Amino acid sequence: MTRELHTLVCLKVVPKSEEVGVDRETNTLDRANARSEINPPDMNALETALALKDRFGGRVSLMSMGPPFVIPTLRVGLAMGADHAYLLSDRAFGGADTLATSLTLARAIEKLGDVDLVLCGEESSDGATAQVPPGIATWMDIPQATYAMDVDFEPGQRHLVVTREVRDGEEVLDVPLPAVVSVKVSCNEPRFMDTGRFALLDNEELVTTWTADDLGVDREHLGLAGSPTSVAGLKEAAQASGRRRELVSGTPEEEGKILYERIIEFLRGAGTRGQEAPG
Amino acid sequence: MTAPTREVLLLDDDRWDRVLLATKGEAAACYQCGTCTATCPWGLVAGPSIGVRSVMRRAQLGIDGWAEAVWRCTTCGACEEHCPHEVPISDVMLGLRSLAWEERSVPHGLSGVLWDMHWDGNPWGRPPSARSAWANGLDIPRFDATKHSVLLYVGCTASYDRRGQKIARAVVSVLRAAGISFGTLGDEEPCCGDPARSLGNEEYFKRIAQANSHKLAAERATDVVTVSPHCYDTFTHYPGIGEAFRVRHYSQLLRDLVAERKVSFAGLEPTKVTFHDPCYLARHHDETEAPRTIMAAIPGVSIEEMERSREETLCCGGGGGRMWMETLPEDRFATSRAREAAGTGASYLVTTCPHCISCLEDGASVAGARNLKVMDLAELAVLAGIGAAAPTEASR
Amino acid sequence: MIDPAYSPQEARGIWVFLEQDAGVLAPVSLELLAKARALATESGAELTGLLVGGDLAALEATAAKLDLDRVVSVAHPLLTQFTAEAYAHAVDQVIRTQKPDIFLLGATAYGRDLAGRLAVMLRTGLTADCTDLALEAGTGLLLGEVSGFGGGVLATIRCEQHRPQMATVRPGVFPEPAAADRAAAKVERVNVDVPAAKCLVKVVARHRKTGVDISRAERLVVAGAGARGEMPNIEALAQALGAEIGATRVAVDEGWAERERQIGQTGVIARPKLALVWGASGASQFTCGIDQAEMVVAVNQDPEAAIFESADICIVDEVAPVVKALVAELQSHGGAE
Ligand SMILES: Cc1cc2nc3c(=O)[nH]c(=O)nc-3n(C[C@H](O)[C@H](O)[C@H](O)COP(=O)(O)OP(=O)(O)OC[C@H]3O[C@@H](n4cnc5c(N)ncnc54)[C@H](O)[C@@H]3O)c2cc1C
Ligand SMILES: Cc1cc2nc3c(=O)[nH]c(=O)nc-3n(C[C@H](O)[C@H](O)[C@H](O)COP(=O)(O)OP(=O)(O)OC[C@H]3O[C@@H](n4cnc5c(N)ncnc54)[C@H](O)[C@@H]3O)c2cc1C
Repeated sequence: MTRELHTLVCLKVVPKSEEVGVDRETNTLDRANARSEINPPDMNALETALALKDRFGGRVSLMSMGPPFVIPTLRVGLAMGADHAYLLSDRAFGGADTLATSLTLARAIEKLGDVDLVLCGEESSDGATAQVPPGIATWMDIPQATYAMDVDFEPGQRHLVVTREVRDGEEVLDVPLPAVVSVKVSCNEPRFMDTGRFALLDNEELVTTWTADDLGVDREHLGLAGSPTSVAGLKEAAQASGRRRELVSGTPEEEGKILYERIIEFLRGAGTRGQEAPG
Repeated sequence: MTAPTREVLLLDDDRWDRVLLATKGEAAACYQCGTCTATCPWGLVAGPSIGVRSVMRRAQLGIDGWAEAVWRCTTCGACEEHCPHEVPISDVMLGLRSLAWEERSVPHGLSGVLWDMHWDGNPWGRPPSARSAWANGLDIPRFDATKHSVLLYVGCTASYDRRGQKIARAVVSVLRAAGISFGTLGDEEPCCGDPARSLGNEEYFKRIAQANSHKLAAERATDVVTVSPHCYDTFTHYPGIGEAFRVRHYSQLLRDLVAERKVSFAGLEPTKVTFHDPCYLARHHDETEAPRTIMAAIPGVSIEEMERSREETLCCGGGGGRMWMETLPEDRFATSRAREAAGTGASYLVTTCPHCISCLEDGASVAGARNLKVMDLAELAVLAGIGAAAPTEASR
Repeated sequence: MIDPAYSPQEARGIWVFLEQDAGVLAPVSLELLAKARALATESGAELTGLLVGGDLAALEATAAKLDLDRVVSVAHPLLTQFTAEAYAHAVDQVIRTQKPDIFLLGATAYGRDLAGRLAVMLRTGLTADCTDLALEAGTGLLLGEVSGFGGGVLATIRCEQHRPQMATVRPGVFPEPAAADRAAAKVERVNVDVPAAKCLVKVVARHRKTGVDISRAERLVVAGAGARGEMPNIEALAQALGAEIGATRVAVDEGWAERERQIGQTGVIARPKLALVWGASGASQFTCGIDQAEMVVAVNQDPEAAIFESADICIVDEVAPVVKALVAELQSHGGAE
């Protein structure tokens, strides 16, 4: 008898990117008017988990580190078919960089004790570092496979066969469990939730909230205190929202030349460089 | 891994029960005369036509790909017009779609449409903050029941689709010309739920309908006028419709205004127009006269009917959620429809539905009908110089 | 605070990870070198290139000719193919003994995997996918410019107390350096221990991408109905840019591109960095498929075309001469990596 697969999906609740700006007065992020959503590739991670559950049975848990207001968003994941959600919420977790974030998630996953597979999105739409999945794997001292496009499971052998995207092609990896796998956005089509279940879910029963004390981690290693990196400056990228609609005109040759310059400038990253916010 | 292949076709009672439950037993009266198959517009194009009985049978047997025909249906209702036993075939198809959702036999991309509705409140995945951008410069007031008699419900397509936005602006001009006091819900306008309903997710639709009913009640809206026949039809499926508020398509309001001589038209140079009846007015709501009454009131306009008109109209191909599914070029009804329209010699192909406009403009371009201009009835009204009625003999 | 592996006072020099695959250096590693050299000159630091692999003899010779002061070469049979755990385990040992101040990697799949693991092993900070690097005036700390929120926000990140200061850098941000005219760098071979327990993941197969999937393409060249007769030039442009071809429904209906390449409501919702759209009118059914592109260029002869509302750069002109001019421009510069 093989033990049933317990898959844990790390879901990050993020603000809609187009609704976030930088406050010109305080030079801090302004997300007051931003709606929340599940980080898009995390939806693909959850679909991967649910598809494995459809085929091989087992359990799917969700885990998220964030403030309590993310609970309604986590319910979406439960209504898609996950069995339980764990919310890691504590002021002590605030301001975490990827070192502290991955430590927090890793210790909480270890507390569960029986997780075989940790699934993440490739990267978040806000911080976009893609460092949390390798970070969790390292804190837990287990293997990782990132940028997965396909995850297949060999139940008897407790191995995964992961097809992942690399620089100019694909790589097929044999990954023994337990492991951390991060999946590419749009590698599958997340099923729509069961809206009946969504409305009837009982938060008390299906969402467990853990604080720093529950994890037993030195507070100096969590949140802002446990983060070696810090933000030295913040600015809004030029043309953060809306299209630029710059008109380029001339002879076709001139247009071709300017277009070439704009493209190269953009591809070099200059296109995302912004104006320093005053103050 | 794919669904288990069935080598032996067993009559599975349990499955039959599910099919019956999903379709609310509506197909029980069907005695397989085949009229539906014969009248299905899919018979006019390359793809196979759809018959309610064979679809039910395949669903019952759970034959691989059973849902394919269910998803092809545009819910145009052409079959229902002729069904001797009055089986509500569109509803049966929507019921079978709900079964297809349960079994996850859903075409690629449709989950995404529902997710867009969930996260963004519209099926186009656009931010709610851009919802009222169509009205830039028009200064349309936020609906206030103490000031406005009509709540103009614009709908997602007319709000976000570039072509649809022009229709919404024309409808505004029409209402203003008639001196109707109206407002919209601006960026707070919710999706009516049509995509959820027409894609067969009844459960989700019910939740949207419930929430919206509360919202409309809170707004104390009693007279709702829509730009799209799809939104109009969708509101008629809301709980409490008729009691709390009434809903009309704008063409019905305009028809009344014409009849009551509250508006008049400067008129056009002598122009032949032909009219494409939207399925969701002509067949689902028996409304074929309102647009014709309006057009007849425009000096200079002569109506050249197509052979398939009124309740015999030919679907544009965009109903039943087909706007979110690809239709191969050889299967697009709108191409034949544009040819038919061009054949009348009309210079304007008028209709009154944003989905029909998208499909027919596409069809006219594929059919190479260069002299045929596709326009919404409201756009025709504006072109014909709609205005407050000139003083009549009596009032003079 | 988590204890760092070593203190800022002990840390010395700037290191660049020379990412290689089957004996070929990743372009981003070379791009990084020019920037790293500028930083090294500014701070008076030594610049070291780190090679990791199975058999590195040939690459050591190549690396020695680059603009580096020193090459550290870490060869082990179990490092022949990249796997994150084994590489991280090996590099961790080298870093702990040699104590670099700054360690830079390319933000490729391999670079990000390795950096992500290593930063946790070393308990240090890692700045991700930088679009620029600089040294802070006064402190000399590494400043990494990163973008977030879909490119809408730029942040500058630094790491004060922990060493090495690590950063991954986005490919294509810095130009490749001109050939260095300097004495060959000395190559130092370092032995590491790679236990089998750190080699649990096996690379079973490698292949080039098969099939068409434009939903993940980074660059798209899109043909609309106005590109009639121009497909050879559109294809040449895609080739020169390393882009995939996309098409409007009309262009697909015309048979100029496969159905999998249709962009829009009933096609693919694409999320490229760059989309160049030729002769499309800008129907919403189409533009919803490119709304998530970071930058859109549109060329259309009709100044009133709606596509210009969805574009960052607008050119009102015929497709043919502009596409030809752009291809010529790209070819004369050797493409756009
Ligand atoms: C603009 C910006 C730039 C930043 N740059 C850096 C930087 O260079 N270095 C740095 O150390 N920090 C950086 N941060 C901070 C970083 O965003 C946070 O540490 C964050 O908690 C995790 O990183 P991420 O969002 O980049 O996640 P990623 O590593 O991109 O996320 C990958 C996956 O990990 C999982 N995951 C991530 N966070 C959570 C969570 N809270 N709950 C559940 N699952 C989760 C999800 O499955 C997600 O798809 C930056 C933040 C911003 C806003
Ligand atoms: C249900 C439904 C689903 C649809 N789904 C999609 C979809 O997924 N994707 C999609 O693309 N469309 C879709 N459409 C079709 C869509 O509505 C438009 O018809 C289509 O996008 C138009 O394609 P186009 O811009 O290439 O062609 P056109 O609209 O014909 O535009 C051609 C443009 O090229 C310009 N032009 C012509 N010649 C030149 C020249 N020599 N040089 C420069 N410019 C020139 C013209 O000015 C014009 O603006 C759908 C339609 C329907 C009804």
